[in-house]
Amino acid sequence: MMFDPQVIIEKLPEIGSGLFVTIILWAAGMIGGVALGFVVATLRRFCGPAVNLPLGFVVEVLRGTPFLIQIFLLYYGGPFVGLMLDPTPCGLIGLTVYSAAYYSEIFRAGFAAVPPGHVEAAECLGLTRMQIIRRIQIPEMALIVLPPAVNLSVILLKESAVLSIITVPELTATVSAIGSQQYAFLEAIFLLAVIYWVLVEATDRLGRLAEHRLARLRFSKA
Amino acid sequence: MLKKHLVKAALGAALLISTALSAHADALSKIKEAGVIKVGTETAFAPFDFIDAGEHVGLNVDFFAELGKDLGVKVEWVALPWDGVFPALEAGKFDFVAGPATITKARLERFKMTAPIAEATVAILKKAGDKTITKPEDIAGKAVGAGKATAQLAQLQEYSATLPKKVDAREYVSFNDAYADLAAGRIVAVANSLPNIAFVAKQRNGAFEVVTPAFGKKAYFGFIGKKDADSATLVEYVNAEVLKMKKDGRLGKMQEKWFGTTFDTPDEVNDPAF
Amino acid sequence: MTLKLFTLLLQAAISTVGISLVSIAIGFVIAILLSAARLSGKAIYVAPTQLFISFFRGVPLLVQLLLIYTLLPVIGINVPSVVAAIIGLSLCTAAYQAENMRGGFESVPKGLIEAAEVTGLNPTQTFFRIRVPIALRLTLPALVNEAIMILKSSSLVSVVGIIEITKMAQDLASSTYLPIPIFLSAGLIYLVINWVIAMLGRYAEKSLAGTSA
Repeated sequence: MMFDPQVIIEKLPEIGSGLFVTIILWAAGMIGGVALGFVVATLRRFCGPAVNLPLGFVVEVLRGTPFLIQIFLLYYGGPFVGLMLDPTPCGLIGLTVYSAAYYSEIFRAGFAAVPPGHVEAAECLGLTRMQIIRRIQIPEMALIVLPPAVNLSVILLKESAVLSIITVPELTATVSAIGSQQYAFLEAIFLLAVIYWVLVEATDRLGRLAEHRLARLRFSKA
Repeated sequence: MLKKHLVKAALGAALLISTALSAHADALSKIKEAGVIKVGTETAFAPFDFIDAGEHVGLNVDFFAELGKDLGVKVEWVALPWDGVFPALEAGKFDFVAGPATITKARLERFKMTAPIAEATVAILKKAGDKTITKPEDIAGKAVGAGKATAQLAQLQEYSATLPKKVDAREYVSFNDAYADLAAGRIVAVANSLPNIAFVAKQRNGAFEVVTPAFGKKAYFGFIGKKDADSATLVEYVNAEVLKMKKDGRLGKMQEKWFGTTFDTPDEVNDPAF
Repeated sequence: MTLKLFTLLLQAAISTVGISLVSIAIGFVIAILLSAARLSGKAIYVAPTQLFISFFRGVPLLVQLLLIYTLLPVIGINVPSVVAAIIGLSLCTAAYQAENMRGGFESVPKGLIEAAEVTGLNPTQTFFRIRVPIALRLTLPALVNEAIMILKSSSLVSVVGIIEITKMAQDLASSTYLPIPIFLSAGLIYLVINWVIAMLGRYAEKSLAGTSA
């Protein structure tokens, strides 16, 4: 079997559009997941057991089952209960909810890592609960939260490849379809591996850079 | 006199050795030696190949069971998503592909295909009672599903180009997923070969309907083998089995069992319509 | 959703659990070797280790599995489905486990290593008797998480021809038209297995903590 890059070059526009869909879904899923995850973590910490326990259960279910099963349930099961989503919105909601469960746990660990003394000191100074969250807890959390959050983002990018299974025209779906049409299977798999690898490496490096910046910022303030 | 005998014996021995050597690479002899034929397929292509309440059944299963009996070997199935089946065949993961696959020009260039086992002409499956689709051209501008890496998808895309408004062709990992989405209403039709959609329409009592006439070009299903020299005898054997079972009525019985009808198929397809 | 369908899912769970456990075990051994290579500090060992970890963390498992299943034969290594699935999952988890272990190895007190060297242990002995046990105790929670991740990732191995819980659920959903009860049951089975893994992990943590006291 010969490796033929010509096939790939001819199909660059299509591959580009698949890559675009992947990156948009990934970015949107990440932003949605961080936002929802933060809300969940905050609710669980500050709203008592009546909120904490059921939310904790949902988070455990989402973290304990494969993303693929969740997506199948949402996509193929949804219409049976009147929830009919097109592939791309369905994929986006799936990614958001799945990653929110993980992000919420990262934020929870972040909250827990803020020394209670700092919060008490702020209370003594007369800061309101919102002020304490915004001025004390979030900045102190950021440094603890960043490394696992970057790691999760990488996992999320890779999980998005699963969406090819519900016909979302993302990178994996596009490139593997080209591979089958052109009988260029190996070229297709190889190309996929390289593109994801580059994206993941770039994300990792950006994450590390952000960590350094944040650490410097903190020390300079102190 | 003696000399002549010696020469003959030597020639005979040489011939024996050479056949024994070549037999080593020959796919058919290897299968006989191992006592197992490995067949790759996709198990979401009813009624040829599907999982019925956990059991692998269909025309493919019946056919290869008969072939296994004739050849005296066991049949081992490897089930993959359809777009992974041809790469795996080329990678040597199994000896033959059941599928079946539509006999097309592109596939004949790359693989060897057996005599037809059924008709494969592509038509449309719609939701029962959908009055917006009464003839094939009504799918113009609408969302229609088909399996990834299939000839049916290629036919749909080709047909779409002839319509006033292009079809929004959705590619599913398997046709089963496309049927599920048709039932859900995300797509208005599924383009697949007539025998398949006729079966599905009958199975899902009244949920689906076949739209006639077929829009695709006349086509047939066959099994697929590799094109290399080692596989030549195996391809020949499976092809001969198809023709044999067609002649002795076994294939007809299988068609009757799975499709409720028999097909009039040619003994070979050398120049497919697409 | 009948008992028969649920039984079929449970049968498929045997493949899921079997393949996952074997992969985690093999991945664990590879991860220890990778850690040893990285701790050696020699570029000829460190560079390939970094490349390995970067690659297997950087490429989606779906793509890795296809690479192993269809690309390895090109260089003359043809492996059956089960082996391909186990290789894919093992290499992937090895990369993640090695990353997790790094933190553990870095936390081993320098003094302990020096003490071991002074008492006459050679570097190999120091590695296996001092560094590995301490690092493992520190990274056990991460190892349990990784085991759960791999169990979930095994839902993808049907692309190389393995019938496990997810593939069985898909087949059953399309033949019975009951996607909701079937996918819910499949999810429940994953949850129970993961719950058992988490319990075992907690038990191991406790008993390890006991020995250190």
